[in-house]
Formats: sequence, C-alpha cells, structure tokens
Amino acid sequence: MAKNKIPIIEGLFTWPSDKPQLIASKCKKCGTVTFPKAAFCANPDCEKKRDNVEIVNLSNTGTVWTYTTQIYAPPAPFKKEPFEPYGIAMVDTSEGLRVLGILTTTDNVKLGGKVELTAGKLYEDDENEYVTWMWKPVS
Amino acid sequence: MQKFRDVAIVGVGLHPWGVFGEKSMPEMAVEAITEALADANMEWREVESMVSGGYLWVTQREGMFGILSGTAISAAMGGIGIPITSCANACATGGAIFREAYLAVASGLYDTAIAVAADKSAGGFFRPQSEDPQFDLDYIRYVMTGETNPAYWAMECKRRMADVGTTEDDLAEVKVVTSKIAPFNPKTRYKKAFTKEDVLNSPMVCDPLHLLEICATSDGAGAIIVCSMDKAKKYTQKPILIDAAVIGSPTFGDHTIPLTYLSTFPRPGVGILTESRNSIAAAYKMANRRPEDVDLIELPDNSSWHYFAYLDCILQAHDGEAEKLLRSGAVDPMTGKLPVCPSGGLGSCGEAVVAQGLFQIYELAKQLRGEAGERQVKNDPKVAIAQTYGYAGNNAACIVSKAW
Ligand SMILES: [Zn+2]
Repeated sequence: MAKNKIPIIEGLFTWPSDKPQLIASKCKKCGTVTFPKAAFCANPDCEKKRDNVEIVNLSNTGTVWTYTTQIYAPPAPFKKEPFEPYGIAMVDTSEGLRVLGILTTTDNVKLGGKVELTAGKLYEDDENEYVTWMWKPVS
Repeated sequence: MQKFRDVAIVGVGLHPWGVFGEKSMPEMAVEAITEALADANMEWREVESMVSGGYLWVTQREGMFGILSGTAISAAMGGIGIPITSCANACATGGAIFREAYLAVASGLYDTAIAVAADKSAGGFFRPQSEDPQFDLDYIRYVMTGETNPAYWAMECKRRMADVGTTEDDLAEVKVVTSKIAPFNPKTRYKKAFTKEDVLNSPMVCDPLHLLEICATSDGAGAIIVCSMDKAKKYTQKPILIDAAVIGSPTFGDHTIPLTYLSTFPRPGVGILTESRNSIAAAYKMANRRPEDVDLIELPDNSSWHYFAYLDCILQAHDGEAEKLLRSGAVDPMTGKLPVCPSGGLGSCGEAVVAQGLFQIYELAKQLRGEAGERQVKNDPKVAIAQTYGYAGNNAACIVSKAW
C-alpha cells in the first residue's frame, strides 16, 4: 500500500493536491504578496491593519530567476534521505513574488526557464513520506 | 545632520582567528581587550562604556551567555560598573558595535568606549536556532528548501555571471589575489597562497562556487578602543579619525531573498543588497567623502561572488566594474593602486561572525599607521573603508582616516 504523503510543515502549500499551490498573503490595498503568509502588509507605506491582508493560493507556475546545486548534505535539521545533490532555485511567480524552492531535477534548468509547482519527498518512515514543495522544470 | 565631536581609534586588539575549542568566548575577548588596552597605553578602569557583540549560535555553545556577551566579558575582565550593551546584527555586528562605541563618545556622554566581540563559529554550515515551525522563518526555510549559505551565494553568483559576464576564471582569481598576502598576516587562520589550479581543482560546493571560493567559519575575537579626538594624544601618537560609522537595513522591494527568508516582493528600480548600498551611501554622506577618496578597502569576501558584488557596492560602480578592476591588477593587495583585503580577507581568516567587522577595522588601523609589517600596502593610504554584510539583511560600514 502506498504511504501517506505528509508535508514536513503544514500550512505552507495546498495539500493534498495534484497541483499544489503555495499559500501566501496579499494586501488588498497595494497587492504586496508575502510567503509564508504574514499578518501585515510589508509595504512601508501601507497601514498595518490585519483586515487589509487576505490569504491567496499562488499560481502553480513560475520562471527561474537563478538556481544552484547543493552538492554536500546540510546538517540537521534539514533531512534528505537517501542524500543526493539537489537543485535550489529562486522562482518568480505571476503575482510578482520571488520564492525559494528545491528543484525536482537540475536537468534542463536555465535562467528564465519555466517551472511548475509539485510536492516531492525528502524522507520517509514506516508509515509516511514527508514532502515539501518543489519546482519542476517544464519544457 | 548635526556634527558631533571628532572621535579617534586609539587602540586595537585581536585574538587570532582559528579554532579554539578549549577557550570560552569571554576568555578570547579578554585576550583581545588586553591587546587593545596595551596598544592604547590605557588601563581597563579608564574605559567608560562598552558595547559587545551578541553571539548567534547560542543553542550550540555557551547558551544565554552568548547573547548577554557584554556582561559575561565584563565579569571575566572584572566589573568596573560601566554601561554595557550587548548587540546582535549578524555578520554586521562588529561594525554595528563599533558604531555604538563611536556614538557613545561622539555624543559627548563618554570620553572613551570599547567595542568588543568574541565568536566561535568554527565548524560548518550556519543553521537555525529553533525548531519552531510556526514563526521561525529560518527553520521553515532550512528544512523545506535546504538552502545553505553557500547555496544562496551560488545563486547570486550564477545570476551575476549571466548579467555582467563574470567568468569561472574571475571567481578563482579572487582567491589567488586575496590569499597571496595571507602568509604575512599573523592573526589569520589560513596562511597559504593558492594558485588558480588549486582553486579550480577544489571540490564544487554549490555550482558555480568551489570550496576555495567560499570562506570557512572560524573562532576569533576583537576589541577596538575609541576616544574623543581632543584626548586621543594621551593614548597614541597616531590617532585614526572615524569619518563615518554606519549600519544599513534593507529597502522594501529588494530583488534578492536574504538568507533566513523564503521570499521577496521585488519592486522596479530597487535592486539587490539594498542594506549594503544604503549603508555605503550613508557612510560617504557622513564622511563627506567620495569613492575616489578611498585608498584601502576591507570587504566581506565570504565568497568570490561577494568580492565582486561588494567591490562594486563600495565603489558605487556599475555592476561588472569589479571584475575589470581585478583583471587589471588595480586591487591587488600587494601591488595595486587600490589595495583590497590586505588582511587576506574572509577567505584567509574564515568568518568569526560577530567579531568579523572588528577584524577588518583592526586591519585598517594597522595599515593606516604603517604597522602591518610584511603585508603593509605600498600606496601610503590615508583614507580606508570597511564593510561587512550579514544574515537577514544586516550591513555595517565605516570610513576612517589618518589624523596625524
Ligand atoms: Zn499593502
């Protein structure tokens, strides 16, 4: 039987889903988007009123601004088992947000290339697979 | 802006950089303070106020004493009842506490002040200090995206290569140029000059950065004593004027995602590293000087990318000018007309995070006084600048000059 896929930290992306989306906050007055969601708009010229901010699910596609490959295993509390080098990117979404995420692969990744959001496993135990959001290159 | 009274650096001291598992941070600070006091011909009881750098990795070492570092160092020195502030601005802490010491004296409240920081960061990657999945963005970022410091630097580096044409050769050359002076610095950790082959053959850590193109983390401690200029002659024949001591914070809409954060909302025209550009602009304004006035630079070469990004930042140049300067030999620490990192830089010492800014200021003082021995720069510097850049969008800069 397939194991349950569980987000390592809940509430950061829509789940379960075939097309997960990052859960962000957006200012109704000025459009500023923040991830993870924040209580107040980060624009210094905006009033700090909780009501000004709403939760939005971001578009599930984006453009690579830059990326790299992490070749050595970072120390705990990051966990990726079994460890293999992985890509990390800064990705621009259509809402104007630039956001971090692991890449599903570094093959065919280029600056300005298109990616879409998915969820990928970092480690598992007997019952569950533990997942985070990942950016998948699309041609 | 109101003009304060002039303040001088009158004493500098450094515990060497390296790995010192057997010593506590307050012990290392005491050694740095002792050297600075001797340098200033000053007694501990003549110090009227103190600012101390707050350590970041408190869940790994020394716990709350790392944050309340000033009181711990004071206890080790022997308390003399002076005002003490402990202050944490990440890697910009050294510059931040130097500014606080400057302000304490410039304001007229005190005639002398000391900035002191000790740090034991040796031993690998930075990591989050809590496991709070709700509000510790650093923890969320780290476990969900696996972003290490070198990964961030490498992403910026790859973008810069695409934008301004930095080559792999340029990145390797940074280490060659900065490390060639390292054998002559008794305070630094890695006293070895590297060849381009050494650099390019070292393991790739985060593409495009090799192991020898990123700095290690180290233990170290520093202390800088400042005094009102009118009383400085009591302590030194070579007072160094503090033209500017500033810190910078980011502007909303910065184009990069600073370490510890997961996202940014880039605004047109804002650009990257705003905390650093804001700080350098403030430093020139306060000093009433321009980049052309600077004879000597200590910059935060945490990686080869930083070297270029910060050389452009400090010279307020167009992105890409730094690579041209390096290729031309102008910024060679031994032979250039504008020596950069005559200490050997962070690449040669490894970063002792909150003490790093004091390592830089110590170097500026030694070079301006002509006391740098075999690594003394050849261009008879009169005006020098140092800048450090830290976690989460922290920056500090200072401009100092000969006042004798
Ligand atoms: Zn707003």
